Amino acid sequence: MSRGNPTSSSLTPTDDALIAAIRSGDERALAHLYRLHWPMVSHFVLQNSGSEDDAQDVYQEGVMVFYEKVRDGSLELSCQIKTYLYAVCRRLWLKRLTSKSRFGVRLLDDEEHGPYLNTGAEEDVLAAEEQDRRFATMSEALNHLGEPCRSLLEGFYLLDKSMQDLTSEFGYTNADNAKNQKYKCLVRLKKLFFAHYKEEPI
Amino acid sequence: MMTEADYYALFEAYSHGELAGPARTSLEARLSADPDFALRYADFTELTGTLRAYGRRQQTRQQLRGLHAAMLAAEAPAEAVVAEKPATGLTHTVNPMLRISRTERKLREFWSGHRATVGVAASVAVMAVFATLLGLDIWRNSHLPTRSGYQALRLEINNLKHNQKVLDKTIKRIDGGVAPPLAPVSKFSGTGFALTSEGYLVTSYHVIQGADSLLIEGKNHQRYHAEPVYSDIKHDLAILRITDRKFTGFGRLPYAIKSGQADLGERVFTLGYPREDVVYGEGSLSARSGFEGDTAFYQVSIPVNPGNSGGPLLDERGNLIGVVSGRQNDAQSAAFATKSSYLVRLVDSLAATAKATAPYHLPRYGQLAGSGRPQQLKKLQDYVFVVKVYEKD
Repeated sequence: MSRGNPTSSSLTPTDDALIAAIRSGDERALAHLYRLHWPMVSHFVLQNSGSEDDAQDVYQEGVMVFYEKVRDGSLELSCQIKTYLYAVCRRLWLKRLTSKSRFGVRLLDDEEHGPYLNTGAEEDVLAAEEQDRRFATMSEALNHLGEPCRSLLEGFYLLDKSMQDLTSEFGYTNADNAKNQKYKCLVRLKKLFFAHYKEEPI
Repeated sequence: MMTEADYYALFEAYSHGELAGPARTSLEARLSADPDFALRYADFTELTGTLRAYGRRQQTRQQLRGLHAAMLAAEAPAEAVVAEKPATGLTHTVNPMLRISRTERKLREFWSGHRATVGVAASVAVMAVFATLLGLDIWRNSHLPTRSGYQALRLEINNLKHNQKVLDKTIKRIDGGVAPPLAPVSKFSGTGFALTSEGYLVTSYHVIQGADSLLIEGKNHQRYHAEPVYSDIKHDLAILRITDRKFTGFGRLPYAIKSGQADLGERVFTLGYPREDVVYGEGSLSARSGFEGDTAFYQVSIPVNPGNSGGPLLDERGNLIGVVSGRQNDAQSAAFATKSSYLVRLVDSLAATAKATAPYHLPRYGQLAGSGRPQQLKKLQDYVFVVKVYEKD
């Protein structure tokens, strides 16, 4: 299978257009995509002993994986978006079920969604899991950092506030002071983050 | 000496491209020359990269949550959009949204969540029911010594004999001798007694049921071939005739056959072959009807065993009053015997159509009245036989 060829014939023109629109940051395109495939995933999860909330969680995770890859431009789609999303969500749900259940898990699949294997979803989900772990460690490290470092760093890196705004918000005398404080916080964060992140096995 | 924080300021400026020419070149030179320094820079980029990605992830999550809420809030418009799209060239098939009530949704969720458990529970219940029934049945059977159990034992002995013969035959064949044809082996046996001095006998129908050939064996091991003449399935009677040419007759029968009914409480006895030797059993006539109220039978309190079937039932004076037929398994010593009146009636109807060469002459007078039981039995023994039944394999 020739993965890594985004113009492969199995992609419909609509899929291509949709991906292009999402990459350019069109929120309406994302909303459309979201609405389009929700019934499929919701049906799948409900059919496999999940609830409506489970379906929503799984679907949002799945769309997240897709969306982040589209935005990074690292998406290599060898099938329809629909099939890809199905494969990703299937993998995610399987993982949750296995961790929940004492018995072996067997999934009921809708045949119409075709070959969900070899869609590259497996690797993408694994990469996403690794990313999740990294973010969880980061969140942990931020929680341990304490105020005002945490708010300062979140303000700058997460919420994209300018240094001037932060200076006045935190009551520093000038922007350089704020910057110095930020770097010190960053150093502490680095220690916390790498201490936890490197410990865990990859 | 620069602190780590100073380095971070430098790195940030560098990564944002704000560093002036000479400072930039010296930094790049140091990055390529000093691995520790390069590692420090890598850590910095990873840290800030992760921070930014984390921020983006949170935004996206928020966005998706908003999308989902908006979709749920405007389900009808969402459906409209979905419905419109195919018209604009969309090739996807979309699962229709199911509209179901709240209770039904709950039920569906319960069912889909516990389907496997419910299935397992149901099959366990079904299996438990069947196991209980089967167990009860086995228990009940094992606590009742049934006549079929006893017969199975006889059958096994016969099988043993059979196997021995086969073995003999095999040995002979190995020795090179010509093996004689294998004699058929008796499968069942019962009791029979003489009906007339000319060679008619009586036994129970169920003894000879399915018989291929019959062999009559007396007390002194004299053997005769016999053939069934008439069977009365309803009253469990069978009339046999000895077919051997050398057979001359039984001589005068010591008992008479009673055509009337016997009285309740009469002392009765029987002779039979439940095993190889003749066995005597006595008791009294306990009822004038048989199993489930069948008036063709008497109930007698004589302990009988498989093999007793077809034996004569006699009263104190040595008159034949019945033919032993069976017993009730779940009652204490309740045996049943066909009334002799039915036998007399059967013989009368046969006598009307009998051939002149083989007439029926029923014994009219008994010779046993007045003598003691051992004397009676001595005389009787010569007229009671083993009926051996052979079946084709």
